[in-house]
Amino acid sequence: MKKFMLLAALAVALTLPATLPAQDGKTIKIAFDATWPPFEFVNENKEVTGFSVDYMKAAAIEGGYEVQVINAAWDGIFAGLVNKQYDAICSSVTITEERKKTMDFSTPYFTVRQAVITPKDSPVRVFDDLAGKTAGTQIGTTGTFAVDKVKSIISKTYDEVGLAVEDLYIGRIDAVVCDDAVASNFIMENKNYKEKLKIALVMDTPEAEELYGVAVRKGDSATLELINKGIEGVKAKGLDQELNKKWIVAE
Amino acid sequence: MIQPYKKRKIDQALARQEAPPPEKPVTIDIADGPAIPRPSDPGLYSAWKFVMIATPLIMIYLTTYDQIGGFIVRHLPEFFWRGNFLEDWALTERNAYRAFFFFMPDGFQVTFQVTLFSIPVAVFLGVITGLCRISRRRPINLAASIYVEVVRGIPLLVQLFYLYYALGRLITIPPLGSAVLAISFCYGAYMGEVVRSGIEAIDRGQREAALSLGFTPFQAMFYVILPQAVRTILPPVGNECIALLKDSTLVSVLAIADIMRRAREFATISYDYFEAYTMVALVYLFLTLLLSKLVSKMEGRMGSYERR
Repeated sequence: MKKFMLLAALAVALTLPATLPAQDGKTIKIAFDATWPPFEFVNENKEVTGFSVDYMKAAAIEGGYEVQVINAAWDGIFAGLVNKQYDAICSSVTITEERKKTMDFSTPYFTVRQAVITPKDSPVRVFDDLAGKTAGTQIGTTGTFAVDKVKSIISKTYDEVGLAVEDLYIGRIDAVVCDDAVASNFIMENKNYKEKLKIALVMDTPEAEELYGVAVRKGDSATLELINKGIEGVKAKGLDQELNKKWIVAE
Repeated sequence: MIQPYKKRKIDQALARQEAPPPEKPVTIDIADGPAIPRPSDPGLYSAWKFVMIATPLIMIYLTTYDQIGGFIVRHLPEFFWRGNFLEDWALTERNAYRAFFFFMPDGFQVTFQVTLFSIPVAVFLGVITGLCRISRRRPINLAASIYVEVVRGIPLLVQLFYLYYALGRLITIPPLGSAVLAISFCYGAYMGEVVRSGIEAIDRGQREAALSLGFTPFQAMFYVILPQAVRTILPPVGNECIALLKDSTLVSVLAIADIMRRAREFATISYDYFEAYTMVALVYLFLTLLLSKLVSKMEGRMGSYERR
């Protein structure tokens, strides 16, 4: 019996660190969906890392608060924010009018455009060439929105953009639409993909420009102010340029 | 010379030893499956009725709560006039439940396809596996047993990923095909065990009698034993079919647009998580209850000469 009690106590002790909320008032829990290299992903040491994570840590130093990194699945990441599982999302969230209705956004911290990845021999030159073809995207991303806008493209949504790229490599779909930096990262970093896939186009109209922002709960101005202060500090010191060099693959 | 009293005791003990175990009706029930409403279980039977009526009512209420009566009365003349009642209905002010209801239908179709194609393949695989598992030929028995062991030891989710993404680099199977293949491959093993225990539950005398009447072992199996085994096998197989329908939600990880995938897409676009998943839960509840009633009906028909 004693042994059992000891074991039970041990089991409880093991789960405690995960369940105890951070007591420090200045700690901001930020959720990342770590499947979006090079912005947020899990490295060999099982740490969530990438451009956004480094950016948020730098911003925390500038803004004078602590950051707790939380890894959350994209599908449901906004629900977790509303349910107060964390206070902010910094997961390459593009600021859109639709999203502004349900949450507040910080100052933009990065600019991307939608890129289309295809096999090397694909004839796709402009976005409308995808008509009648199957395009894969990560569920609920701006890539999905872009694909859904053109009714004749058959849309397929994946839990992770990596799975979409793998399916493109296997040959079940004709294209993957995602943010340009992510697209080039996938193609540059992976030998198999590099041989067979290419970035067919990047949407370069001015309205195709997308801004990443940190999302917080609607009306949570205290958190928003801290994060904005941090981001502005990072920009003022030019740290964002350094992070760019470190993480974003040069084309 | 044994005294009469003692002799009687010994006789009794011997009789006890030799007596066949008391006949028990063979029912193979699995705990995790959804309950099949049998008339012999009044609690479950009325629960089934209750939920079966409540589920569609809740769905109808949720999709129309903002306009029960009002809309229908307002637009009834147009319905008779143009017949596009549903179109008007979808266009009126936003109700997330209703919006999801109109977003979902093609997902419903996919779920239906996956389940409908998987069940016959799984049953076929199950019967073959079950027969092989009782075979006296070592290689056949071993092959079937390995299949069962391997498949039952790997979670369906892992099997789906494996078939779709891992094996995808070697052979490319279209999404629906790999979903059906993975599910039926998995459930074939489960059903194989059900079939095996169903056949083993049939008295050996049946087979011996058939053989002594000049049946070949093959004929004995297919004309005498299997038809009787079907009665015991059917309920658990029905249970497996319902579990299969529920597990078909897992194919949404393969980017197959089933009901669950559609709900997730809907929720990530509109942020109406509560509404989307509530509707999905209700739809699946309705489907499984419908299926469980179907199984219980079939069961009743099969066992018509059995006294209850």
